[in-house]
Amino acid sequence: MQREVASLALAPTIKAKLIGAGFVRVGDLHEVSAAELRIEAGISLQESTEVLQTVFPRSHEKGSETRWMKATEILEQEKSCRSISTFCAALDTVLGGGIMTGKMIEICGTPGVGKTQLCIQLAVNTQIPASFGGVEGHSVYIDTEGSFLVDRVVDVAEAALQHCKQQHGKTGQLGALENFTLETILSNIFFFRCHDYVELLAQVHLLPDFLFKHPKVRFLVVDSIAYPFRHEFEDLSVRTRLLHGLAQKLLQLASQHNIAIVLTNHMTIRLEQNNSALVPALGESWGHVSPQRLVLYWQGKQRFASLTKSSRQKEQMVPFQITSHGFHDVQLFQSQVTASISSATSNTTTVNARKRCRVEDDDEHEDCL
Amino acid sequence: MILKEGQCPGLTAEVIQALRTQNIRTVVDLVTADAEELSCKCSLSYKTLVAINRVLLAQYASFPINGADLYDELLSSTAILSTGNESLDKLLDSGLYTGEVTELIGSPGSGKTQVCLGVAANVACELKRNVVYIDSTGGLSASRLLEIVKSKVSTAEQQLDALRRIYVTEVFDIFSMLKVLQTLRTGGFPESPSGSSSLKAVIVDSVRAVLLPVIGGNQIEGM
Repeated sequence: MQREVASLALAPTIKAKLIGAGFVRVGDLHEVSAAELRIEAGISLQESTEVLQTVFPRSHEKGSETRWMKATEILEQEKSCRSISTFCAALDTVLGGGIMTGKMIEICGTPGVGKTQLCIQLAVNTQIPASFGGVEGHSVYIDTEGSFLVDRVVDVAEAALQHCKQQHGKTGQLGALENFTLETILSNIFFFRCHDYVELLAQVHLLPDFLFKHPKVRFLVVDSIAYPFRHEFEDLSVRTRLLHGLAQKLLQLASQHNIAIVLTNHMTIRLEQNNSALVPALGESWGHVSPQRLVLYWQGKQRFASLTKSSRQKEQMVPFQITSHGFHDVQLFQSQVTASISSATSNTTTVNARKRCRVEDDDEHEDCL
Repeated sequence: MILKEGQCPGLTAEVIQALRTQNIRTVVDLVTADAEELSCKCSLSYKTLVAINRVLLAQYASFPINGADLYDELLSSTAILSTGNESLDKLLDSGLYTGEVTELIGSPGSGKTQVCLGVAANVACELKRNVVYIDSTGGLSASRLLEIVKSKVSTAEQQLDALRRIYVTEVFDIFSMLKVLQTLRTGGFPESPSGSSSLKAVIVDSVRAVLLPVIGGNQIEGM
């Protein structure tokens, strides 16, 4: 069975002309020269050369062969992939070590709960040297809301340096901190400000070139992906198309360049029959996009992070706090922690009412971790 | 199928040119046109046209198959693959049937990827057959696959053998996906060392990711 011309990656007008001229299947284009095709289909010589190159790619062209990988090879790759710590040990455990490079995660939360703080912390933590268990990579920060403050980055970076120096004191690793200073941290965060969705789309379109020039980038955040898309669209189907296209491009970059991608999202109210629920914004179709989703929320005066969607890890929630030093664990007495977690558990159903938690199967779980 | 010189005796370049003037370009155009009318308009011999029609129909038409024969063929060639989950198997009338497409639909986080991983693990472990997993969402995790496989077989060697039977490819847009599917269709699947291709399941997770960016809008002809 031959592939149909309609399914090829060509412009719709060219495809329409080809099909009108009778070239319905790929086999119809065999032994047709570019000049003949130009006459038959009524397209330019350049277009017909392009058509023939798409249909019959030369075998040495990169990317023309499908790349198959066995699950064992992917397992090896995953084992060697490092993750970026959030500096909140509990959250790192929930995430399976931290934010994984090569994967995408969505962080949702109400205003003020700490999404931007977490993004700034991750942008700094990406640069932690490998000898301290870090990824030693650069960061790209795409800001659509204007909430990125350099002063705050300085505070977080200085705290991270302090933390590493204390560790260096314990383990005695010399020289590792030479390339990890405030200057280098700030200069290795590449900042882009996008004011509307057009700028954001353009920026993502230009990213492949940027990433080739900066191969050390290991972290990219779009803070937030919701803001430019929430206000300007009357036609929601256009919004869906653009958002999903954008997400697929980012997923491709994540996989090709081994970058951790974080997208932050807002929360919105979904009205049901007799009550309302707080759900992530951008609609239900957007909910399918990211393979992992972390929801940050308040419970009284305590902030919690809940992993509500993941293909790898169990759904769990942990408390965290934000101080002048950045994103951290909570230091509470054990009883207080248990009390706040148990009261939060009864309320996690409002966070995701349709899910049942995964059943605890301690024996197998321990073996695997 | 476009009309080309030499496709059958009698189909010469002059004949094709004459047909083109009447806008007859493909085999379908020719066999559906009225031969008498065509012979007048194109000043071609009626006999030639009828002869050409007959040869083309013999070459390109599909043949009907007896219902009973079809049933026998299906009975002997269809395999039923268990998903690894009893209740799901019951719902699917004992499992996934080869030759059929099963679609999983669900809200975000409802478990679609987990079912896909479970099916892949089951086909690779229990049935010991190859599986192709086309991932367009970045949701595939080999460590999660290993976790599922570990619950089915106990030795490390068996677990790795099972994982070796799962072939993964990542696609991020509709054209790459179609290309991969076409490769599979034409037998481009990497063969197992024993020489026989024992591919039994193709899992696509998910179609939504590659189709939503192109569906809708002003184009009414699909893509």
